[in-house]
Amino acid sequence: MNFLFYALLIGLAIIAYLAFSTSHRKMQALSMVHALSYLAPAAYLLLYVDLPVYYLGNRYLFIDHLCLYEVLIATTVFFFAAMYSWGYVEGLVRAGELNRRDINVFYLMFNALLIVTVLSFMSNNLALFWIFAELTTVASALLVAILNSKKNIDAALEYILITSTLMLFSFIGLMFLFELSKQASTAGTLNWDELMAIAKSLPPTPLVFSFIFVFIGFASKAGIAPFHTWLPHAHSKAPSAVSAILSGVVLNIGLYGILRAYAIVRQTGAEQTISYFLIAFGVLTVFVAAFTMLHQKNLKKIMAFSSVENMGLMLAGIGIGTHAAVFWVLYHKLAHSLTKALLFFSAGVLHRQYLSNRADRMQYVFRLQPLAALGLIIGAAAISGMPPFPMFISKISILIQALSFSVPLLLALLLLVLMASASLVVFLIRLFSNKDEGRAHMERYDTQPGMEAPIIALIIILFAIGIFFPDGLRSMLDTITTELGFIGAKP
Amino acid sequence: MMAAGLIDGWVEALLALVLVTGAFIVSRRDLHSLVFAYTIQSLFLVFIALLLYLAHPSEVLLSIALLTLSSKVLLIPYTIKRIQKQIKISRDVEFHYISPTGSLFVTILLFLFVYYSFSGVIGGLFTADKISYTGAVFGVSLMLMGMLVTFSRKKVITKIIGYLTMENGVLLFGLFLTELPLIIEVLIIIDLIIMVLLVTILAAGMDSTMEEFHNRLHIFRRED
Repeated sequence: MNFLFYALLIGLAIIAYLAFSTSHRKMQALSMVHALSYLAPAAYLLLYVDLPVYYLGNRYLFIDHLCLYEVLIATTVFFFAAMYSWGYVEGLVRAGELNRRDINVFYLMFNALLIVTVLSFMSNNLALFWIFAELTTVASALLVAILNSKKNIDAALEYILITSTLMLFSFIGLMFLFELSKQASTAGTLNWDELMAIAKSLPPTPLVFSFIFVFIGFASKAGIAPFHTWLPHAHSKAPSAVSAILSGVVLNIGLYGILRAYAIVRQTGAEQTISYFLIAFGVLTVFVAAFTMLHQKNLKKIMAFSSVENMGLMLAGIGIGTHAAVFWVLYHKLAHSLTKALLFFSAGVLHRQYLSNRADRMQYVFRLQPLAALGLIIGAAAISGMPPFPMFISKISILIQALSFSVPLLLALLLLVLMASASLVVFLIRLFSNKDEGRAHMERYDTQPGMEAPIIALIIILFAIGIFFPDGLRSMLDTITTELGFIGAKP
Repeated sequence: MMAAGLIDGWVEALLALVLVTGAFIVSRRDLHSLVFAYTIQSLFLVFIALLLYLAHPSEVLLSIALLTLSSKVLLIPYTIKRIQKQIKISRDVEFHYISPTGSLFVTILLFLFVYYSFSGVIGGLFTADKISYTGAVFGVSLMLMGMLVTFSRKKVITKIIGYLTMENGVLLFGLFLTELPLIIEVLIIIDLIIMVLLVTILAAGMDSTMEEFHNRLHIFRRED
């Protein structure tokens, strides 16, 4: 079964249709079908096909277990975001925040973003990955800019300029890598599988140089400090359905690039240097996020910084580089994406109700929007790493792996992670205790079932994954970690 | 066929000129001369690609020259001029951290830094070919100069020119690496075109009607 051909065909057909469609309902339904159309073949490939599978004569595209895992996470978030868009986007139009004629553009970019995201995960060739990663910036920035506010345009411009500028460093790094590969084998290559095969003969010092360049660009995509400055504005200004995708999917693309590049470096003598390098940036990122979260007053901004914090923790986990650390980083990625989707969907409902993201404007949240309030509380508990949610085990396990690296690292990470969680809890307590008598009789915003269903579904999924850790998931994560060359004691 | 030594001499001269245009972009304030400097810089890149083609005939180099000419020398400067007319800004006098004179000084430091760090780390890659090494150093220097403009100026239109200068730096760097797969050369141009399209849409979005609409929204509610 030609997964690539099938997926592209459906995606392109949907995009072509969307360009001329006038029915909002159809556009939204097709976006859901589009996300589902990747889930079915992905499940088939996972169960019945020996991976990796290569596409195109020069093996520029491929599907291995990591790719499949990322595609499954991404398409799940896209599916729920598409479902959520029904009531949400209509609400934006009615409030005058989105022009009706821009609905087409919204769904066009939404589906284009889905296609380029899937293609970026499927890229075996790192230059091709770079192109698709750049295209995800283009599509997602348009989704940020689509609302009728100058602040959205500013946030989108900042997003494009910072990430595209820094992505050029990655490009230079990739060209270096190509030159280095020419020294190690007769013909130069940027295919990841071939680079893994010749990694041991790559010269370490120039490889460090090349990796640092590659890292800068992908780190800006992943929201790693100090390259994260675009993230809080873009994530908080975007429509909530898009914020969920930015946090739950687009950040993963940057981290995916770093993980693939580090897998190559790990086979060489440069491994130690880069490991320290990644841990340093990971800790710095958690540090910046934890301290910024302390004084946040904006609901979506604090969530954006929580994404920065989690990306930092995952980066540190990758830097620690044991089999168990990478295993739990991958698990954390799944949990983070789903939890962030839940949080942003709930925040979106509150934004419709109060027409603001500021905590001090949100009064009587439980009375007016009980489901969104529940979503926020469960999401915050999950993101803080409380049991029985999946991030409990992944955070604890990454911290235990930090201990195997060094005690100061464990203490630093533990302190900062606790600080970030405490900030979030204090923020929510303040939000829920707001009571302004003047607003006691505020009219309730009527949320559509399309907005409520993803919140309920994500709450159930988070409980389920946290309580039952399926064997299939465990063996898949094990396989991915081994395929990436992180060999060692299994968790 | 020109002698290899002669070609190298010409290429070095053009590299120096490219750097001069880079310095011009870093230090100038009025937008017309910024666009002009960018256009001339791209033209020099076309000449370098053509000279390299004379030394090592390969279709990729020729296609780069053609694509650069059509996109960076003609299409992009034209697009930027149109945006300029639309948003009616002719001078960019706002800077974030650093004045143009200071920028020029930083530029020199950047160049020296790149030159020495490259000779230490990757000099070994280019032992056989001195001109490629010079090209790589000039390319990365130009890229950093563009970044300086992107991060130190406030106006979006100047930032875009900074970004485009960075891309020219990357292209310059790429020109001197041999046997690159076609994918790498073409993607720069593809990306560039997409960038300009996107930025055009966004810059055009900042017109007065949007402001008015924004203010109207603010009567009903105040966002932070």
